[in-house]
This record gives sequence, C-alpha cells and structure tokens, in this order.
Amino acid sequence: MTISRRDLLRSALVLGSAAALGPTVAGCATRSAAAPPMTSGDVDLLFWTHDQGYIDFFSHAVELADRATSYRYSLQPLQIAADDLVTKLIAQAVAGRGMPDVAGLETGNFARLLRGDLAPELLEPLDGAVADVRDDLIEARLAPFSRDGHLYALDSDVPMVVYYRRDDVFAELGIPTEFESWEELARIGAKVHDKTGQSLGTVVTGTDLGQVVQQFWIPLLQRGGGLFDADGELSIETPEAEEVLTFLVDGVQSGFLSTVSDVYGPAMQAALKQGRILGIAMPSWYEAYGLKPNVPEQAGAWRIGALPPFERGGGRTSVGGGTGFAAVTGSSRTAASADFVAAAYLDPDQQVRRFKDLGYLPTRRSAYQDQRLLTLEDDYLGGQRAFEVFADLVDEAPAVYLSPDIQILNTVLAGALVDAYRGRSTPSQALTQAAETFRSQADR
Amino acid sequence: MSSLASAAPTAVIRGRTAPPGAAARRTLPSAATQRAPYLFIAPFYLLYVLFMIVPIVAALFLSLTSWVGLGTPDFVGLRNYGNLLGDSSFWTAAGNSGLYVLVAVVLVVPCSLLIAQALNARGLRARDLFRVTYFVPMVVSPIVVALIFSMLLDTEYGLVNSFLHAAFGLPGVDWLTDPSWARASVSFVLLWRWVGYLTIFFLAGLQAVPRELYEAAELDGAGPVRSFTTVTLPAIKPVTAFVVVTSFISAAQLFDEPYLLTGGGPGESTLSLAMFVYRAAFERQQFGYAAAAGVLLFVLVFAVSQLLNRALQIGRAA
Repeated sequence: MTISRRDLLRSALVLGSAAALGPTVAGCATRSAAAPPMTSGDVDLLFWTHDQGYIDFFSHAVELADRATSYRYSLQPLQIAADDLVTKLIAQAVAGRGMPDVAGLETGNFARLLRGDLAPELLEPLDGAVADVRDDLIEARLAPFSRDGHLYALDSDVPMVVYYRRDDVFAELGIPTEFESWEELARIGAKVHDKTGQSLGTVVTGTDLGQVVQQFWIPLLQRGGGLFDADGELSIETPEAEEVLTFLVDGVQSGFLSTVSDVYGPAMQAALKQGRILGIAMPSWYEAYGLKPNVPEQAGAWRIGALPPFERGGGRTSVGGGTGFAAVTGSSRTAASADFVAAAYLDPDQQVRRFKDLGYLPTRRSAYQDQRLLTLEDDYLGGQRAFEVFADLVDEAPAVYLSPDIQILNTVLAGALVDAYRGRSTPSQALTQAAETFRSQADR
Repeated sequence: MSSLASAAPTAVIRGRTAPPGAAARRTLPSAATQRAPYLFIAPFYLLYVLFMIVPIVAALFLSLTSWVGLGTPDFVGLRNYGNLLGDSSFWTAAGNSGLYVLVAVVLVVPCSLLIAQALNARGLRARDLFRVTYFVPMVVSPIVVALIFSMLLDTEYGLVNSFLHAAFGLPGVDWLTDPSWARASVSFVLLWRWVGYLTIFFLAGLQAVPRELYEAAELDGAGPVRSFTTVTLPAIKPVTAFVVVTSFISAAQLFDEPYLLTGGGPGESTLSLAMFVYRAAFERQQFGYAAAAGVLLFVLVFAVSQLLNRALQIGRAA
C-alpha cells in the first residue's frame, strides 16, 4: 500500500494530537502522593504573598520559628499579585512542581479555592497547629478560611472597620465627632455638602469590582447582614441589604457620600489632597495602605472612631479584607510549613509586632489586653491611642461567610450598585436584578 | 557466466526498449532521500501540532467536562454549551464583542485609510513624524494606556470632565461607569490604539499604486474623489481585505482594552467574549465552561473569517 504525502501528514497530525493530549489530560489528575514528611532539620520554604510587608514580617519570624519548632528555616519569598497568586498556585499544582510551601491568600481569592475540592487538595488543615490556642482565636476570623469544619489558613488580621475623619476640618466646620447613628451623620453630611461641597464618606463606582462591592459589604455586615449566609447561600435580598443600599444611595444623592473610582488611587488622592473628602469608613489597615501613601502631609490631622450604628440595629464596627496564610499540602515540608505559620502568627509577641509593623490587628483575643498595644500612640493619628478604639470594638466584629461564587457576585452586584447610585434603578430593583443574574450564572 | 548473460539483455532493454516508467523506477531515491523533505518540514508541523492542534483538541475535550482546575474533570457532555446558550452574561459579552468588531471594521479601518491617504499626499512635510505619532499608541504598553485614560476619564477628578466643566460648564460625564459611555470609551481607546498601526499597512499599499494610473485618471478628467474610488480603492483591495480580516479577528478576541480600562464593567456592559472566557477560567474556576465559550468563540471567528476570505477573495488573483 502506498502512502501519499497528505496521508502521512494527516496520520502524523492525529498521532501527535493523541500523544500530546494524553499527558495534557493526565496532568488534570490529582497530584501524586507526597514524599515522607520532614520532622526536623533545615527547611527551605518557598513563600508566596502579594504584600512586601508580609515578606518582611515572616523573614523576621524565622529566628523565632527556629526556637519554637524542631526545624531551622530559611525563606525564599516571591511577591505575586493577589489574583495571580491563586491562579499560579493551581497551575503549579497541575504541573506537579514549583508549588510554594506557604501562601498568603487574600480573602476574596481564597474563596476560589472553596470550589470543588481545591482547598483540601491544595492546603493543609491547620486545626492541629492551632489546637493549643484555638479558644483564644477570634472566632469571626476563622469562618472565612474554613471549610467543612477545617481551618485552611490563619488570618493575618482582624480588619475591623472604623470611621476615619479629618479632625482639624471637623473642628473648623463645627462638626461633632460622636454620632448617635449613621442617619445622624448623614443628615450633618448633607448640610456640610450643601455648604462647602465636601463629603463625609465615599462609595466606589470604578472598575475594581471588589472595591465597589466592599463599600456596600462593609455597612451591610455592620447592619447584621452579609452577602452570603453561613451555608454559603446568597443573602442580598433581605430588608437589611435594601436598607443599607437605600442609605448609601440617599447619601450619594445628598452629597454626604462622594463617588470615587477607587479608594487607593489617583482619584482618591486628589479628593483627599483637595480636602473634598473629610471622612471614610474603612478597615484598620486603611491608614497604612490608603491614607499615609496618598496624603502623608496630613499626618496628625486624622483620627479614628467607632462607626455610628444604624438606627434599626447592628454593631459599631464591620470588617473588610483579610489575608490568610496557609501551608500547601503534598510536600515533605508541609508539616514544617504549618508549624512555621503557627509559630510566626500565634506567638503573643508576634501578634504585637504585626500591629506595630504592619498595622494588622491581633487575631488572638488575649492580645487586646496587651499594654504595649493599648498605650501605643499613633503619630499619624495625632498621637491617638488607636488600639484602644479597636480593643473596645473587637467583640463586635462580625463573621464573614464566603462562597466559591463570590467572584460572580462581585461582577453582577457591582453593576447593580452603580446603577442604584446613579439613579438608574431603585435599591430594591438593583438587589433583585443582581440576585437573579447571580443565580443564572452560579454553579456552572 | 550466467550473470553476464543476464546482464547483457538488461542493458539492451535499458538502452533501447525500456518503457518510460522503467527509467523512473531505476532512479528511485533511497529511503533517507525520501524522508528528507519530511524532516525539513517536520519542525513546523511538530510545533503546529503541539501548540495549535493539541490545545484545540484539549479545549474541545475540556468543554465537555466540569473542571475546577485540579483533580479529574467530570464528563458532562454538552451541558456547558447548553448553559452558555441560556447565559445572559454570554450574550452580553457576544453583543459587546459584536460592537467592538463593528467599531474596528466600520470606524477604525476607514479612519486608517483616510489617514494613510493624507500621509501619502505629495509634498507633505514631516511625514515620518506624523507616521511615528500615529504609530506610537500601538507600541505603548496597554497598562500605561489604561492608567492614563482612567485618569483622564475619571468622573469626579478626571482631566476631561474638568475641561468640559471649565470650558463649557458641563456636568461630569460618567465615562467609565455609565454603561453606554463606558462602551464608547472602550471603543475610543480601540480607535486611538489601532488606527496608527493599520495606517502603516494602508500606507504601504498606497505607495505601491503606480503613479501612471493617477495620471491616466487625471487625463480622463477624474477629480480627487473619483481617483480615490476608481484608482486607489481597487488598487489596494488586497491590503484592505487583509486589514479588514485581521481587524475582525483581533476585535472579536479583544481583551486588553476592556479588561484594563473598565474591568468589563460597569456590571458587564463592556465585557468581551475573550474576557468572558478568562473570567470563567481564572476568576471562577469554571474551566469546562470557559473552554466551551472558547470553542464557540473559535468557531465563530473561524467561520466569519472564512466568509470574509471568500467575499474579499483574499489570496486569489485579480
């Protein structure tokens, strides 16, 4: 039988495809069994995070971890954007090599690992590593990083939300600093805006969908609601959600709240520098990551206080953000990684140092009585003892529940929120539309 | 003896009476010589199979599964395709991609041609400067483009709104957060970035049009418009066809501009099909679903490209 050139090329194509597809599909399979675990000795850990501050913090923690465990650690840090970190983690897991040992997972991106069996496939449960101090850990910050009763990451923070205000301008304008409720602050804010064009808060309407949603999520959590309930079911079609969105929409329309494209970038910087925004409800880390970088010259002019409660209920604080550190499973260094995270994070001195160095609040309840923190004065906040404010609020920090579909909700809800702020739909319509679109896209 | 006896008649046959096919058989190349051409072309086909055919086949396979990125994919048959057809988000993305294609083909291509025509004018000074100026947007990093435009177009603090307010007293326009304006903004950036690049192609085509044709048209009394329609356009038809098809393919798979400028928002109002695929795979861990959308995008782009190829007679003699 003679084989034509065309036949030969076709055969090569088919055989080549089959040969190459085999390993490709095989690569999708679960990773192979781990090597025998190390129990002591020198351990070189690959450490992935999106934040240089964490690299510095964990690098300093090596010495302490060496003393607290049977290992001698060295770190190989790699800084990757928060979104890309999870994507790369999964890609490396498929490749079967190049995985980190310790990874810092930002809350919203950790939710991606809740889909299917990704979390148990990739991460080591830390239940054993935290067993000794489990009762002292702030319960509200365990929920976001737990699945099926197992804790997969240790939160770096209790990102409690407080109200930042320009104390000097408040005094100048005769604005009080204590408020009975958000509604009272809104009424004062509307008058201030009418008089001076300045705003006492913000909502985000830009292209960072996570930020747009976060500015709604924060007051919703404070009011006692949430985007998802403890079972991961969508919970935005509630009276609380509608009440909060109505409050924000009214605030935008009255000028009490200013719309900004994002709360970190040039637009916010311009607004802060021009003194057009005099207050903002943001988590504890916003001082270090939002105010100081954008308006260092306003050091001493800012103060923080508890959020005013809503008239119809809720607490005096909320939470926003968070990053959990996890030990990646399937390696001979997994146990060493889990011990390292626990040693670096749970040691009382480390809890104190994390707040001093990074502005991240302790995750152990007992640290909130630590005099080193309670007496700490913050120069940027005009010498205010900021930790006292947080210590007063810590027991009111609401729990956050995530869903693997939170990215879908970010997309659909962000658009609906902006529509409501712009008056293109009512709060009720916006939430209903977002919920319906979410349900049509989830579980694909 | 016997060998000599048998050799002589053979020689006779070779010398005098051999049929035409016999000579060919005599000169049949060795196996190594036969394989040589295939070995020369093998690297291309190997890479083509590895990086084109295999991913396509793998995507086809994945599109029939539900897979979160790790573990074994679950075979779900055509469910992903069925879900896609009922997904309003997918149709929104398809509509937006359709808009970007329209902008690219109906707006960007004609603008490029007009600019190229202007740059090709006789006696134009600083031609190279203009050429570079128009081309620069294409070589500027998309990240930088997005950053600059997001600062220019910011509703509250952007330069454009500040100018509009200062000059005309106009209220702020939600360039990036109003669905219609956001689409317009992405389309404008598309126009801004691509016009200079496509102009280069048209300019090359225009410079290849023989001057004699224009002189003949002028002698026949044709004005500039008539010359353009009867001489220029037919002469650059191959270039135009190429530009139209490549613009269509690029616009149908547009990702950078909407991703960086609006993130697909507000809501999904600027979401493109390529972004839809990316979002499903790398933000939502829905790899099977993303693969199904990718396959549909591929089929659509391939089919329309083929239709355009035929309609515009690309690669065929005039």
